[in-house]
Amino acid sequence: MNLAPLDRKSVKVRAVSTVEDDEQDLTRKQRREQAREQRKALEEAEAASAQRRKRLIQLGAVVAAVAVIIVVILVATGGGSKGGIEKTATTGGTSTTPKVVTEVSSLLDGIPQGGTTLGSPNAPVTMQYFADLECPICRQFSEGALKPLIEKYVRPGKLRIEYRNLETATREPETFRTQQVAAMAAGEQQKSWYYIELFYHQQGQEGTGYVTESYLQELAKQVPGLNLTKWSSDRNNPKFTNTITTDAQAANNAGFTGTPSFLLGKTGQQMTKLEYSSLSDPSSYESAINSLLK
Amino acid sequence: MSPRTLRITLIVLSVIGIALAGYLTYVHYSGATPICSSSGNPCSQVQKSAYSKLAGVPVALIGLIGYVVILGSLLVREDERTRFATAALTLGGFGFSAYLTSREAFTLHKYCEWCLGSAGLITIMTGLALWRYLHGDPGRFEDARRTDLGQTEAAAPLGT
Repeated sequence: MNLAPLDRKSVKVRAVSTVEDDEQDLTRKQRREQAREQRKALEEAEAASAQRRKRLIQLGAVVAAVAVIIVVILVATGGGSKGGIEKTATTGGTSTTPKVVTEVSSLLDGIPQGGTTLGSPNAPVTMQYFADLECPICRQFSEGALKPLIEKYVRPGKLRIEYRNLETATREPETFRTQQVAAMAAGEQQKSWYYIELFYHQQGQEGTGYVTESYLQELAKQVPGLNLTKWSSDRNNPKFTNTITTDAQAANNAGFTGTPSFLLGKTGQQMTKLEYSSLSDPSSYESAINSLLK
Repeated sequence: MSPRTLRITLIVLSVIGIALAGYLTYVHYSGATPICSSSGNPCSQVQKSAYSKLAGVPVALIGLIGYVVILGSLLVREDERTRFATAALTLGGFGFSAYLTSREAFTLHKYCEWCLGSAGLITIMTGLALWRYLHGDPGRFEDARRTDLGQTEAAAPLGT
């Protein structure tokens, strides 16, 4: 048998999918799906961080706006406590009176004083003002309601105000004694209220121990017309220490624990506790005083 | 915290704030002595100071209105805008509280425990409101994902 060799023609035959090919297709599909999902996740992550950024920016704007408003309020309401004695400005050899001295002088000049009392001894109404020279709340009163009360009632002779001692802010009893006596000693020259008001207007930072001998001396130098030698000598008078004790007792009897605290009444008669509603607005004091003047 | 818990917590805190500021507003207008645990009643001294008013309006009243508006922003339908509103309002309240507290610390040297309480409250509320705003609405990012087997599975929401 002779078999002629067959024509060797190459024939392309489409490959029939094998199981392996099927598996390959699936992987490709999976990979495409995966890629799509990765893209989607990436878009979402970008969207999320873009949104986070947007929110942070908006919050940042709010924070900035709030900060600006607060600064405006701070400045508008007065910036806070300025500490210490106002220095005398010296220009070209002549020293200018510190502004605070001018202010206190214009408040008190011409009003009779005796001891720690401000006002005419014949005033029909008396107010006892319990205070601590270092107390910042008393300073609020001094810079607030006190001035209109002096103008409206003390100067015209309707009211006299007696300054009395009650320790609150000054936590050192010896410092308290020294500073209050310094003010009372000025009263021997009818100038205690100058000393008191100059002190309140130039208080330092509470709790920093700013009331030193030097501080007290500086204040004394500012009091117009105060004889410093006599003042120094008067500071040693033991009666003032007794006054502090008496005042503390009186405050205790009235149930006062804070400053400022006030007793009000017709001069020479029973004094009652004055309830005030503001340290800057004089109306609550005025209505009480007016009812006693009737 | 879940969004719902956050919202309810903020609502409860706002109501406490309203009660606190309401009490101080009452004290201001009636002239009553505030309840105070410290001797010398520094609460009263702070309440009577010049800083207890801003442009003639009692700061307690400003606080009361603030807390009421914050509560309002929490009671309306929750969305991106109202969450922002709550965050912005609490930030404002925080700033105002910080100013008042600084006055107590540096000018008056006296503290009113009610005011400090409100300051603490608004601080907590601000923290919560900011968190709530920044972490948005989890529902937005809920996503359907196809698994190998073609099943749909919800992806874990962002921010929880």
